[in-house]
Amino acid sequence: MIKRSFFTLTPPRLNYDLVEPDPKEPESIPIPSDLTLLLNEPIDSTRPALIKKGDLVEKGEKLRLYYESTEYTISPVTGTIASVDSYSDDFGNISTYLVIKNDQNQTTGTNAITYDLKDDIASADEYLRTLPGAPPLKILADDDMKIDTIVITCADSDLLSTTNQYVTCKFLDEIKEGTQILKKITHVPKLCITIPENLNIPGGFDTIQVFKTSMKYPSNLPAMVLKDHLNIVLPAGKNPEDMGVCFITAEAVVSLARAYKTKSAGFEKILTIIGKRETQYRVKVTIGTPLYKILNTFGIHINDQDRIVIGGPMKGFATYTHHHPVRPDMDMVIIQDRDIIPELSDNACVNCGKCIRICPVNVPVNILVRYLEADLYEEAADKYDLESCIECGLCAYVCTARIPLYQYIRLGKHELLTLRADA
Amino acid sequence: MTNNKLTVSHAPFWHDGDSLFQMNLNIMIAALPAIIFGIIQFGAPAVGVLALSLSSAMIWELVMNIISKNKISIGDLDAAVIGLVFGMMLPATSPWWLVIVGTFVAVVIGKTIFGGIGANPFNPALVGMAFLMLSWKAFFDFDTAYVNYEFDFTALAPLAALKFQGALEVAGLFPAGDLIMGKQVGAIGSTFGLGLIIGGIYLILRGYIRWEIPVSFITGIIVTALCFSMANPDSYAGPGIHLFSGYTLIGAFFLATENSSSPANRIPMLLYGFFAAVMIILMRNIGAYADGTVLAILLLNLVNPLIDTIRPKALGKGVNNA
Repeated sequence: MIKRSFFTLTPPRLNYDLVEPDPKEPESIPIPSDLTLLLNEPIDSTRPALIKKGDLVEKGEKLRLYYESTEYTISPVTGTIASVDSYSDDFGNISTYLVIKNDQNQTTGTNAITYDLKDDIASADEYLRTLPGAPPLKILADDDMKIDTIVITCADSDLLSTTNQYVTCKFLDEIKEGTQILKKITHVPKLCITIPENLNIPGGFDTIQVFKTSMKYPSNLPAMVLKDHLNIVLPAGKNPEDMGVCFITAEAVVSLARAYKTKSAGFEKILTIIGKRETQYRVKVTIGTPLYKILNTFGIHINDQDRIVIGGPMKGFATYTHHHPVRPDMDMVIIQDRDIIPELSDNACVNCGKCIRICPVNVPVNILVRYLEADLYEEAADKYDLESCIECGLCAYVCTARIPLYQYIRLGKHELLTLRADA
Repeated sequence: MTNNKLTVSHAPFWHDGDSLFQMNLNIMIAALPAIIFGIIQFGAPAVGVLALSLSSAMIWELVMNIISKNKISIGDLDAAVIGLVFGMMLPATSPWWLVIVGTFVAVVIGKTIFGGIGANPFNPALVGMAFLMLSWKAFFDFDTAYVNYEFDFTALAPLAALKFQGALEVAGLFPAGDLIMGKQVGAIGSTFGLGLIIGGIYLILRGYIRWEIPVSFITGIIVTALCFSMANPDSYAGPGIHLFSGYTLIGAFFLATENSSSPANRIPMLLYGFFAAVMIILMRNIGAYADGTVLAILLLNLVNPLIDTIRPKALGKGVNNA
């Protein structure tokens, strides 16, 4: 954890980590006997389900809950479905999880089902959404979105993570192939790639525009890339996709290239693991593997009140169970010992102004939080720029009163959407 | 592997390690040079006043916590800072009841009834101070307060002398070097200019006060005093005596910078500091008070919410479908 320096005339500077030169092969974790998959759709007991406990599934088989479902997941192993149940995330969104029993003890070498992949986005969206890196094919396939720029992110968006940088260093050729495939299937005119300015990537990218991003957090967050490199100011409350820009991670591009080569899906996700003493490990693991399998491999012992953070230290989320599965969009896992978990408080804002000085987009956080505490979400959005927040978490990182500012803001945005949906 | 109970919370999972306790502790450390000098200069009564002020402020806070059934909040040291700064503004000869009444007004009326830390629209120490100065004016006449003391320097309160005798008379009585080294009568913690400046610079470097406020404050004092002095050097003194006497420096570094009653954006901070200083010089030169620091800063506290709305535009605001 980066602490405040003794002299703090300027705001603290948080830098992204750079992948080590000539990185080692990641540690491979064997496929476990039970894999958990998440399906982004709640269970509806009134409808006949397509999958149920005891069903046999094949490696690469597409699993949907109902006939009309647009959400799906792909089984990474051949086996049987051991259970189907509801899962609720930290904002109360209900989805479904499946546990698949890998009863054949297969290795990674087993062949997966091949797909009939054509050179159009619809057929890619049909099978490849859950590739490692989670390519945003749903957005790209949506005709209403009008995406005209794709940004490939080789720079990881959160601190400490080096997963995408590693992929970029190791599989540059596949990234180039993947970009060609993306170009062919999406017909998007403009492709860009973000690379950390201190990372040496040999070779050009021909027609692809290269953005060298700064090492200073939060320069790799989508809104900042738009502002710094594409000269697009993201209007308050809009997503990059609304502006016609779609972000895709380097790992997703590599997975796409491999999927098109083999006509089947890959399931090996690369993760950065940060252990208790900030030791860094890199692993290659099958999607659906519970996290404790990985932790056991490295001998990381979890005690009560430790914290498992999925995603980065600034934007991630903490899970309540070490059975949490590896998911396609998961880039890193941090294990924090109970002793180093910073305390939060319910203090009132003391107006010290540190949040204002560190905010990259000039949100008046000190006033905003007063409105959010009072549940005045509409006023917060109209007058105090709630929706301009790019969710970097820096305000809560520096808060002297230790107010969970970032959580207030996320909750505020969530409540605002609910309010507007009800109106 | 057993299923451990994990800590589940929300991002960010890092913190820079700062806290209210750290902030307030540092403010108290920064006040030490001026306080130690005050104790050396004014002796044991100064220790008594400071100790009583600090402890009674914390006790008032504790009493209010208990009465209002709130979480005990003296641990964040905010009440201690109020008490300490309040004590620094008192003459060493203040009677005990004056101190206790003052901290009552400061902590209870100035802070807790507005909702506690962060909710006070005025600097609590100044609210208490203004109350005492208006109610028991005699105790703040520094010339009579120290009548039993023997000093090796001009034992005249500089600002009062300036007010009633004019700049021409006091010229030469108070060399700036003497004032800055604390050779003047005044409140316990406000005489040693150098100590206050060192403490202030420490706080600026540590990031616990915002440099814009003291810098613009001192600029405001110098500019305004210079203007007056140039217009009529016989009746208005130059910036030296204004800067290094009375509550000016404690105001610049410890009073005007109180977090919740001062602005947080850059331009408002500059305006706030500057105009607080302008008001001080206006009160000293034209108004009825010898030292207008307390009321001038309270006045600018009042203006703070208005001027703090001058702020940069947030990303994506006011852009029409760009």
